[in-house]
Amino acid sequence: MAEERRGSWFGFGFCGFGQALGSGRGRQVHSPEPLRTPGAGADVRRVSASWSYTAVVTRGGQVQLSGAADGAAGGCRDAWASEALLVVLRAGRGLGPGPELQAWAPGSALRGEPLWTHTLVPEAEGADGAGGEAQAGALPLLPGARAYVSPRPPFYRPLAPELRARRLELGAEHALLLDEAGQVFSWGQGRHGQLGHGTLEAEPEPRLLEALQGLPMAEVAAGGWHSVCVSETGDIYIWGWNESGQLALPTRSLSEDGKTVAREGEASGLNEGGPEVRRTAGGEEGAPAPFIALQPFPALLDLPGGADAVKASCGSRHTAVVTRTGELYTWGWVRLTPAEETIAGSPEAPRPPRPGPVPSPESRVVNFVLVLVTPKELWKGMPEASAAGKVRAEPLGAEPGGGRF
Amino acid sequence: MAEDNREPPAGAGTLREALRALLPHRKEELVPELGEKVERSVVQLLWEAAELFCGGRRSECLQASEAILDYSWEKLNTGPWQDVHKDWRRVYAFGCLLKAVCLFEEPGDSAAVAAALKACDMGLLMGAAIHGDILIKVAAVLQAHLPSAKRPGPGLAEEQPSMKKARDDCVSVPDVASERLVPRLRCPSLQHFRKQFLVPGRPVILEGVADQWPCMTKWSLEYIQDIAGCRTVPVEVGSRYTDEDWSQTLMTVDEFISRYVRSESKDVGYLAQHQLFDQIPELKRDISIPDYCCLGDGEEEEITINAWFGPQGTVSPLHQDPQQNFLVQVIGRKYIRLYSPQESEALYPHETHLLHNTSQRIGRQ
Repeated sequence: MAEERRGSWFGFGFCGFGQALGSGRGRQVHSPEPLRTPGAGADVRRVSASWSYTAVVTRGGQVQLSGAADGAAGGCRDAWASEALLVVLRAGRGLGPGPELQAWAPGSALRGEPLWTHTLVPEAEGADGAGGEAQAGALPLLPGARAYVSPRPPFYRPLAPELRARRLELGAEHALLLDEAGQVFSWGQGRHGQLGHGTLEAEPEPRLLEALQGLPMAEVAAGGWHSVCVSETGDIYIWGWNESGQLALPTRSLSEDGKTVAREGEASGLNEGGPEVRRTAGGEEGAPAPFIALQPFPALLDLPGGADAVKASCGSRHTAVVTRTGELYTWGWVRLTPAEETIAGSPEAPRPPRPGPVPSPESRVVNFVLVLVTPKELWKGMPEASAAGKVRAEPLGAEPGGGRF
Repeated sequence: MAEDNREPPAGAGTLREALRALLPHRKEELVPELGEKVERSVVQLLWEAAELFCGGRRSECLQASEAILDYSWEKLNTGPWQDVHKDWRRVYAFGCLLKAVCLFEEPGDSAAVAAALKACDMGLLMGAAIHGDILIKVAAVLQAHLPSAKRPGPGLAEEQPSMKKARDDCVSVPDVASERLVPRLRCPSLQHFRKQFLVPGRPVILEGVADQWPCMTKWSLEYIQDIAGCRTVPVEVGSRYTDEDWSQTLMTVDEFISRYVRSESKDVGYLAQHQLFDQIPELKRDISIPDYCCLGDGEEEEITINAWFGPQGTVSPLHQDPQQNFLVQVIGRKYIRLYSPQESEALYPHETHLLHNTSQRIGRQ
């Protein structure tokens, strides 16, 4: 996390609270739209999205909320949004010289007093040796990796120091931890197989994922009830609940509405075929297709063409993955109600092209995806994106002149 | 049917009026009372949806109700069911209510009526009662407006007997005579029942108690389809719930009967342990609560009534019920084997929390 990525933010999905997804109109954004962010897009350090609101943290230390919660505040290094709590990491305030962790009610607009605060011990060295700064953007993992913050009490949760956490992700009822050696640990409830230990039992303490031992992981992501990790060699491992096809395995929907995609073969309407799955294929017409309701231990997932993944991120019931060549794949839950109108805003004038790393999605929330896109040109999604299948991004073409995002 | 063509325009209007009459008119009365567990953003959405409904903005209200359902559904799936806060179930029921009453765009669109009825059923199955069981009333109104042509005609019944006979031939009936039989008594007094069976914890078969219940003469597959065919119910698929390929799914009673009861299915489907009579009060009228139930420790309101409805071949593995109960067999027959609690050590309960009251021993019940 030492290198901060610069680029433009786009979002698509559920927008029922007018979160900063560009148009702010309508309840759903079907193709990626530029994110309305304070100041220029390059200024965004981190975006954290919850179901009803989004928190944007700028390099200048401003946190801005939009959607059901609004408000802004300064002196902020990191923020993490959930429906119950907005957690903010502020530098240098509070009683001691260390950064202060604050938890706010989202509706407070960051005015008045936070619900609770915790002053952190200043860390002389972060994991990168670059000081506490390097740890910013890692919430809910706290700088120093000795603890993490939870949206439910107790809010401050210590981690055993021997865990040497590099990254921590929270699902609805479980937690995933990636350590410095690339090993993955999980704990919490296991009813939907989200812990990956092969059972449905809960684990009170972090437990190593033995199935992945010896395979160093680069990224982890937690959805509501599923887990994903990406190995250093670009392989995707996925496990947990598959009720909406969030594991890209054949599914039979139990929920009453919201048709699910990522059925085997059909795989969300891709012409090139969906993500391949190392499971038996679905049944024929009329016969009930064999389906996987949950996967209690990691399964390897292949993307079309054997593409390597570099980053994964999850919503409650969907998964998003970015490949080394800059393609975004998404699968899982999608609500297929007719769009109110094609949101066809003319794209903002693009910024001058600049080289940079590949897109990296942040999609922590119930059902939308935010994408940080940093390719040479700006990208526009096609209408069939709709949070399912491959977003067939096409370059808009470099245009002169500066642009605002 | 000719009526379908003539009815729709007027039919849809009266349907809308009938539904409108059931709901509170002011949005303040429409949004249920909720505690702190429900986040502010959700409450905001509920008010917005109520306002859209009261303002007649049906398709926007429908969208809002879908969002309410999506979010609350996830809350219902977080943690064990018994720990789910009732307020989330109320939110879910509210979402189902708005969805059900907002689903009509085209007059006479029976697919929309069926979808609305399904929304009511989801609210009844997973939600908690709001506005005095309003979902039951809405379901009754919707059902009355469903064209009866949708349900399978009586012609199918003739096929039944030969199909059922073929399956009867291959079932094996346990040789009960060699085991200790549960004693049978004819309408014993309450005191006798309490002293001889309830207090010492001994099983008994009571004869004559349910003879006069309407279900004994009225119930048949056709009748059940007539009353409840279009209602959505939970069905367990798979031989027994201790098997790995066992699952639960939702389908209408019509689908359940045609797929798992009338026809040969390689899977066993069982409508098991479902509070069917709370969902479909019309069926509740056909049964009674035996007087012996008043001998129990709790209040009458705590009595739960579950239904088990399925083809032959269903199995409930050896288990222990948390409450005292009576089983009434209306149609068909069941083989039941009972073990005394004193035998518990020989019965090997499953280790896992979810199956803790279920035995690992393969016993048929």
